[in-house]
Amino acid sequence: MALTLVFGNKNYSSWSFRPWIAMTTAGIPFTEELIPLFGPGSRERILAHSPAGKVPILLDGEARVWESLAILEHLAERFPAAGLWPSDPKARAHARAVAAEMHAGFVPLRNHCPMNFWRPVMRRDLPADVAANVERIDAMWSDCRARFGRDGPFLFGRFSAADAMYAPVVSRFHTYDVDVSSAARAYMDAMMALPAWAQWKAAALKEEWVLAEDEPDWPTVHRVPEATGAAPQ
Amino acid sequence: MALTLVIGNKNYSSWSFRPWIAMTTAGIAFTEELIPLYEPGSKERILAHSPAGKVPVLIDGDMRVWESLAILEHLAERFPAAQLWPADPVARAHARAIAAEMHAGFVALRRHCPMSFWRPAKPRELTAEAAADVVRIDAMWSECRARFGGGGPFLFGRFSAADAMYAPIVQRLQAYAIEVGAASRAYIEAMTVLPAWQQWRAAALKESWVLPHCEVDWPEVTRAA
Repeated sequence: MALTLVFGNKNYSSWSFRPWIAMTTAGIPFTEELIPLFGPGSRERILAHSPAGKVPILLDGEARVWESLAILEHLAERFPAAGLWPSDPKARAHARAVAAEMHAGFVPLRNHCPMNFWRPVMRRDLPADVAANVERIDAMWSDCRARFGRDGPFLFGRFSAADAMYAPVVSRFHTYDVDVSSAARAYMDAMMALPAWAQWKAAALKEEWVLAEDEPDWPTVHRVPEATGAAPQ
Repeated sequence: MALTLVIGNKNYSSWSFRPWIAMTTAGIAFTEELIPLYEPGSKERILAHSPAGKVPVLIDGDMRVWESLAILEHLAERFPAAQLWPADPVARAHARAIAAEMHAGFVALRRHCPMSFWRPAKPRELTAEAAADVVRIDAMWSECRARFGGGGPFLFGRFSAADAMYAPIVQRLQAYAIEVGAASRAYIEAMTVLPAWQQWRAAALKESWVLPHCEVDWPEVTRAA
């Protein structure tokens, strides 16, 4: 049975980015259904797939799975060969803890630094609660890399669902030029070098739906030159 | 290897209640370590177990698992016989979705109606956002009961990790006398008669630590007799 992933704008929808980058990197085939958020009829289109009214949603035969973390658990179970969780039980327990910490947390960072691929890299002052989020994430990433990262450049060596959960934070740290440790920076570089990352970003830059609440410089909308040059049809 | 669950105050710590009721109901043996929250030294004691600085934390050999949902996934995998997730794949996918929706959501209801076992049931006027959370939860529970609840009184029939995730919401709906549909009322009833529920509640009522930010009638603290 073919899978369909229903998600929002590639430029802005951080929750959508998580299962998309996981499935694409793990080589799990799926069909895309993009619903531009906050447009006329968007809410109804999302509700037609899930009563929670949120993207992303995975359509898998009879199963409708919403919430990025639940989608990742579902995929990990359904496609064991994809190795979405680390195979070592201790690493896997740790990966699930950091993934769940992301799922419920870091609200100040998420509010202050919305994911926004077309915004040129520009520093933004961070209030204390956001800076505390950054500090915790940097310490967590550095700890994962040191303890579990021997077999590759990702949090648990090989790419895992934990990386997918933090992909939007990698994008935020990059876009807002957030100061991080060298271990965290090396991890960010590895994430941003993924083919799936480049593919999502290229599509994001071509989008033309602007959401004021996700533009930190509103009413100015800064877009990197490639995006301005690429006229969407 | 024996398990230890590090938790906060039983009266208030909704996140702690989730793995505790799951393990107790599923018959998974563990030692309890209770750290009263917001006391001198509390933060340091929690940080000694987990750098995230939050309860609950499960200590399982040399593993430290924090975040209630991650603990439940870990236990489901480690104790398959406990059947913490529904056996049917479609039901299991649905259970994981609503568990994750709880883990990240319903902030308005959680803020407005803190879990408190010793507060006598008394209505509280809901903000529009908290009322919207209640509408969504009521619809979700009713749908789960109708579609997946054939084998028992819980969301997916048998008790599951999804019930553990919503246990603190059950308590809030009860403590603040919030109106819900008949299916949800029956579900609340099934949850609150669980022996594990009674056991946690009895311990909560004996606690003496009062947290002003969790007492909605502060400076008045109303306690059930």
